[in-house]
Amino acid sequence: MTRSGARHWLLHDVKNRGVTAWLLGGLFTAFYLALYFTDWLTLVARGIGLDNKWTLYGALYTLAVTAGGAYVIRKYRHNRYQVVRTLVVIFVQATFAFSIPHLLKFFQQPEYYFSYFWPLKMDYLTPSYIFSLPLPFVLYSFLGAVLLAPLLAVLFGKRWYCSWVCGCGGLANTFGEPWRHLSDRSSLAWRIEKVTIHTVLGVSLLLTALLFVSWGAGKSHPELARFTAGFQSFYALVVSSLLAGVVGVGLYPIGGTRIWCRFFCPMAALLGLVQKFGRYRIRVKENMCISCGLCSKYCEMGIDVRSYAQANQSFTRASCVGCGLCAEVCPRGVLRLENARAVDPQEAMLVQIQGAPAARPLI
Amino acid sequence: MHYVIIGNGVAGISAAFQIRQRERAARITVVSGESDYFFSRTALMYAYLDRMNLRDLEPYERTVYDRQRIERVRGWVRDLDAGRRAIRLDDGREIGYGRLLLAVGSVPHRLPWPGLESAREGVVHFVSLQDLAACERWTPSTRRAVVVGGGLIGVELVECLVHHGVEVDFLVRESWYWPMALAREEGDLIAEHLRGHGVRLHLDHEVESVVASAGGRIAAVRTSQGREFPCEMLGICIGVRPAVDWLAAVRTPPALGRGIRVDSSFRTSLPDVWAAGDCAEFPLPDGGAKVEQIWYAAKRQGELAGRAMLGDRVAYQPPLFYNSAKFFDVEYTTVGEVTRLPGDAVSFFHRFPGRAASLRLIEQDGRVTGFNMLGSRWDHTWFERWIHERRSMDEVMEHLHLAQFDVEFGRVRLDEARAAYRAFRGAARRQERA
Repeated sequence: MTRSGARHWLLHDVKNRGVTAWLLGGLFTAFYLALYFTDWLTLVARGIGLDNKWTLYGALYTLAVTAGGAYVIRKYRHNRYQVVRTLVVIFVQATFAFSIPHLLKFFQQPEYYFSYFWPLKMDYLTPSYIFSLPLPFVLYSFLGAVLLAPLLAVLFGKRWYCSWVCGCGGLANTFGEPWRHLSDRSSLAWRIEKVTIHTVLGVSLLLTALLFVSWGAGKSHPELARFTAGFQSFYALVVSSLLAGVVGVGLYPIGGTRIWCRFFCPMAALLGLVQKFGRYRIRVKENMCISCGLCSKYCEMGIDVRSYAQANQSFTRASCVGCGLCAEVCPRGVLRLENARAVDPQEAMLVQIQGAPAARPLI
Repeated sequence: MHYVIIGNGVAGISAAFQIRQRERAARITVVSGESDYFFSRTALMYAYLDRMNLRDLEPYERTVYDRQRIERVRGWVRDLDAGRRAIRLDDGREIGYGRLLLAVGSVPHRLPWPGLESAREGVVHFVSLQDLAACERWTPSTRRAVVVGGGLIGVELVECLVHHGVEVDFLVRESWYWPMALAREEGDLIAEHLRGHGVRLHLDHEVESVVASAGGRIAAVRTSQGREFPCEMLGICIGVRPAVDWLAAVRTPPALGRGIRVDSSFRTSLPDVWAAGDCAEFPLPDGGAKVEQIWYAAKRQGELAGRAMLGDRVAYQPPLFYNSAKFFDVEYTTVGEVTRLPGDAVSFFHRFPGRAASLRLIEQDGRVTGFNMLGSRWDHTWFERWIHERRSMDEVMEHLHLAQFDVEFGRVRLDEARAAYRAFRGAARRQERA
């Protein structure tokens, strides 16, 4: 049942795929279509003294993350993981993803986003673009994509990126908070997700390989260069604009907040594979789950967390972005995000208590 | 072999899955009058709070029943004939069984308060799906509610009503909240927390009678203290008892005590009939009998009863007691014995300053026997282990951090608790010397 009163009706309607939710979804979709395929927003930007539509978009995005972040921090103020994580998300968005690129431009440097890496940002391993930048940017692009991002994912799971740094995840976890419970958690959705996300990853890898080949041999094979350029603009249209923007954010009020991250993001796919072999896991307390299902309901990646919790199974899922909301909403404190240490705490205990008197036998 | 299970709660469903896991060929039928699909009873409040839909309460995808070939029958069972090995439903259908499990759960307690019969509307319990429906039906027309009973379900109902903007008078018979499980300090902490959420908590109040309006809606509750609390809803949450009344009237009733009497392998007095979960009363080694009415026990008993029905040798002994709960925002973990202690038991209590959190450790004969933790998260398996290993409280306090389960960056600070513990022990020693 919903609480009575117009305000409660509206809150419920907008959060549960009601009329207002569909209207809002339409509005978001229209906004992204206008942003990517028209110049109307440039007129708006100029009207308020900004240089182009992308600056306006960046400002709106930062505003949404900051306002949503403030709401999230207030809502989960008793949970320090959520408070710290959200503060970092806001900080990264305001600096690395907004102010610093503009500062760089102001100082006649390339407009570079230190919080984005290949393969999410294909440009950063596109040889024709990246090699036109000063050396430090080239090094950061390469080392960030092939070394830093996977290494941190081994140590902390992909959450270090997807839930702490990335702008897409940042928007989902702040502005998107009211819709996080709408993700489909059926096993069918999981099967589809595995196909789509790895397809996009495969395509992005193929495109990168082609970009390098055509950069090296394009002059002698103009048809290859033409094909690669066509492929590149197709990828930019379908993946970067339609899937990441229009579908990814446009459908927030209908399909939940992480549609892009879950079904399409090549970076999430790559770090997810790394995560499976890393230290990160969700630990499940033995025999404490009451199968209430709040964890599954509020998982924005549609993971059926309850199925692991009620089976006493600690687990690592490739798709888990480590937002920590399952642990937050669990009414029995069954779940805990952790980076499993090299030494198991139980072994540590055995070492520590060797000096203590031996356990007396039971009875 | 046809296995028939009456009751699709956690005990019945755990038994069904246990049987299916081991016997691929068995025919399994689960009968329920309450719901078509197994749902998490412990999550009823989250549906009432509008945090989940009813469908979200179901722990398994619905396809699992077809995949596992578990037949579901909807209906209340009215008769059991162990001679013909058959049960009969309220609509007359008969189902024959090879082996039968009674996992029929509990029903809410009710006391014969004067005036209760005439209050046909607005009186609710909070145990079943039907109770939830009733709560949701009465809430919109309710400004004030009275909830009676200082246990877990009472607090859950209070939280839901508060969420829906209802003013709640919460009547508790005892002189602090839930003395069955909490000592006075913890009871006070919870009381403070409830009052902080706007709940009007009245301790030492026992219901004497209830008043209904002319239309039959509940209108007020009168207590032994001579006070009258006007209300449009009354929640009765004074505990549950095994749902066995109907069994007294069947053709072949099993032996009944408080619940359905079973032996340590969950066998009832009837041939090929077992019972498990809230409704089962099993013998203790000391000659007594016990009914366990919590989720964890029902899950455990259901699995074991399933094994017993398959022919395994099962000798059930309730393990070390543990439980968990949440009172509004305060989480609760308990292991072992923490109340009704002998006089020489040592009880160390520490309240974490600045937050609604506390810990209590109990030591008897130089070894730790119980834990009561509020407001922070703990891995109870460490507590169980320390109790089984007969560790002293000194050792446990030293290693307590191993059991912490709070979120990253959010652990409660144990240094203060340890300092308080040293002071507590020092004072005890000084007292001994004096």
